[in-house]
Amino acid sequence: MGCFCSYVPEEILVAGNILPVRVLGSHEPQNVTEPYLFGMYCPFCRDVLAQGLKGRYDYLDGITLSQSCLHIRQSFIAWREHVEVPFNYYIYMPNKVQTKAATPYLKTEFEKYKAHVEEVVGKELTDDDLDRGIAALNRNRELMHKVYEYRKGDTPMLTGLEAMYMTVSGMWVDKDEHSAEMEKVLEQLPDRQMIRDTGTRLLVVGSENDDTAFIDMVESVGATVVVDDHCTGTRWFWNSVETGDDRINSIADRYIKRPPCPTKDWEERWRFPHILQLCKDFNVEGAIVIQQKFCDPHECDIMPLRKTFDEANIPSLFLEFDVTVPIGQFKVRVEAFLEMFGVDDLF
Amino acid sequence: MAEKEFWRWKEYNWHDENIDWHGCDAITAGVDVGSVSSQAVILVDGKLYAFATTRTGSDSPKSAQKAMDWALEDTGMTLDDIHYKVGTGYGRVNVPFADRAITEIACHARGGNFMYGNSVRTILDMGGQDCKAIHCDERGKVTNFLMNDKCAAGTGRGMEVFANLLSVPIEDIGELSFQVEKEPEPVSSTCVVFAKTEASALLRKGWPKNKVIAAYCNAMAHRVVTLLERIGVEKDFAITGGIGKNIGVVRRIEKELGITALKADGDTQTAGALGAALFGKALLEKSRK
Repeated sequence: MGCFCSYVPEEILVAGNILPVRVLGSHEPQNVTEPYLFGMYCPFCRDVLAQGLKGRYDYLDGITLSQSCLHIRQSFIAWREHVEVPFNYYIYMPNKVQTKAATPYLKTEFEKYKAHVEEVVGKELTDDDLDRGIAALNRNRELMHKVYEYRKGDTPMLTGLEAMYMTVSGMWVDKDEHSAEMEKVLEQLPDRQMIRDTGTRLLVVGSENDDTAFIDMVESVGATVVVDDHCTGTRWFWNSVETGDDRINSIADRYIKRPPCPTKDWEERWRFPHILQLCKDFNVEGAIVIQQKFCDPHECDIMPLRKTFDEANIPSLFLEFDVTVPIGQFKVRVEAFLEMFGVDDLF
Repeated sequence: MAEKEFWRWKEYNWHDENIDWHGCDAITAGVDVGSVSSQAVILVDGKLYAFATTRTGSDSPKSAQKAMDWALEDTGMTLDDIHYKVGTGYGRVNVPFADRAITEIACHARGGNFMYGNSVRTILDMGGQDCKAIHCDERGKVTNFLMNDKCAAGTGRGMEVFANLLSVPIEDIGELSFQVEKEPEPVSSTCVVFAKTEASALLRKGWPKNKVIAAYCNAMAHRVVTLLERIGVEKDFAITGGIGKNIGVVRRIEKELGITALKADGDTQTAGALGAALFGKALLEKSRK
């Protein structure tokens, strides 16, 4: 099942023995989406749709959108219209999560989604099935947390690039298989010898980001990404489902209370204290704030977010991402940013 | 017959004949391989001794070598006499003889601090293909910066294209831009190609060249002021890079900002290489401790 947002309740899919697959882009130039998306829609939603139009997700049996922003919704709608796929479903995930009505409302929407999944798989999902789905996701999240713990020390035991491979692969691979691999990794991490300098400890925060070439570049010029706030990273896995008798309600509550996407982070900004806590816990020295070009929800957050960093004495660098990232242009900006932390030897 | 190259700015070298470098304690050099121009600066015990400024070719290592060779010309000094060499600019990692590479952002801040004095807090580097607005402290250490994105408007290369279009030597553009009865509206300030198309239309419409030049200088100034406003301008303010020599753009920036830029004591185009050479001196001293 192709998932168009990290708000799709994977627990319900796993309960139905369906493999959730996050639909991401390829970071390659393309020329197939122009008829379907406005020019000022973000490069990520454009890249996502291009993959569908080019047949790169032809193995999908269905697609699901959980409402987040208008841009990715348009990609979903265009996909539904122009790419052959047997099943599709649009979950009316509320943007107003900061209200008591949010969880009961989402519960009813997830009940409807459960019925859709039952139709897809041709059988009823029992409480046992849901428990299995919840357990698989919770175990996976817990293991990712454990791996992230190894990034907190003076010498992070894995790079930001490796962490990105871990989280993004977790969005595609069977949860139990992914968890089994992480358990093997966790056995080896304590004894791992890191033969690189940690350099400046960075947080990367912002729009969807699975750009491994970018993270690799950043970590090649004297820095380590020690933590992130992305929907392909911590925002996706940070909190677990607190199990209760009403499984669907518990799942809905988890998605309402997770670290929010900025589309849902109002009227208060719940995300900022959470990000500052990440900075504290992971001993972050600087932040790279990234935004997919034209990503309005994140764009609205940039000014107050950078102000929040300023007030916490955490220098930040802003970069605007496109389908293809100009590594050379970004490299000079990142290097100059890192020089701000360590140029005392130059004076 | 070859077409006249109106864009060609002055390539030259210089050295101070009053300095005897023999037996000096610290000889350091900075080489700035930019997208359009390359500079080499040699310092002798922290004093400016020699420099060269030349066009960057298609090969960064050769451009670095050419600038360095030219700075060394007639000095009796060889590359081996230089104790520490720093590469900067977009080709910084391709300076074959460099001991270290440092970004042009840090180097322009440090070079601007040396060139304009330690009261400088905002430096606008108007380079060949990008613009940088840099905040720095009293030592010339970068405290914040912003670069233009995805567009060469407001850069030296844009001005070169314009000089050729109008068949006006690039060094005359600044003066000529003020020889207009009334300041015209700016042409497109977001794209060099659109600006060129717009200027061609204005010429066909009968606008005198000076008026078109004024419209372009105005556009370039407006473009970089929007960049500066995003980061804020803290006094004192100075401009480095090749466009720093173009009074048509500089004065319009000053007018739009309501701030007078500090006057340079030296060639603004060499600020990056100068900063690199100054960092070279600090690194040399650290390495000897």
